[in-house]
Amino acid sequence: MAERKQSTPAAPDAVLRALADPHRRQILRLVKHSELPAGQIAASFTLTQQAVSQHIGVLKQAGLLTERREGTRRLYTLRHEALDPVRELLSEFWPDALSRLKKAVETAHPRPPKR
Amino acid sequence: MTAEIRNDVIVATEHIKAPPEVVFPYFTDPALIVTWIGDRAELDPQPGGVFSLGMGETVARGAYITVEPPYRVVFSWGVPGDETLPPGGSTVEVVLTPDGDDTMVVLTHRGVPSTHLDTHRAGWEHQLGLLRGAAG
Repeated sequence: MAERKQSTPAAPDAVLRALADPHRRQILRLVKHSELPAGQIAASFTLTQQAVSQHIGVLKQAGLLTERREGTRRLYTLRHEALDPVRELLSEFWPDALSRLKKAVETAHPRPPKR
Repeated sequence: MTAEIRNDVIVATEHIKAPPEVVFPYFTDPALIVTWIGDRAELDPQPGGVFSLGMGETVARGAYITVEPPYRVVFSWGVPGDETLPPGGSTVEVVLTPDGDDTMVVLTHRGVPSTHLDTHRAGWEHQLGLLRGAAG
């Protein structure tokens, strides 16, 4: 049976919004297995460092990045568990669709009252 | 209504108060399918026939693989122009089993990319697109 974490307080909205940008997804791919300093992340893009910093900020806000300071450097890595709410949403796609199917069919074909 | 997600397979079930003969066309008739999923459809329900379902900005496209009215239909599901989840990249099998005068629907979606980042990128972008479409 599906595990439903009813206690998950974070709505997936912030995560979905954060994921809705290709640059931000690229950042997540860079740090999914390794911790990288901001400078090295920025070096992978043709964007300005400031633009990359903004993207990192959005990802941090959404809980998708863990930040660690080492001297003057800031190091980032993916917080995998932040994706859990999205996974839960995806697991509801077909059940939600079938609920609508049930409603559509039963509305269009109401059972005659039992005699 | 239940759902189970295990590895790359999603299984969803539903009980519907109508016989399979009534439910089946909701998977093959464009006018009926959009009453529950998507907002536009092009369907040619025969093996190899087109299965195309528009959901907002996203289009799920594939082909019917098996069409056995009124009990079973299998179609592929993917996104055109998407290398990692091409049309036919995953399959949806729908089995309608009579339950008295009613129907048990068991839908199995196989080859669903995991939401984890280390699998198909476009897979979850696609799924997110579907979510946005389905929510609208």
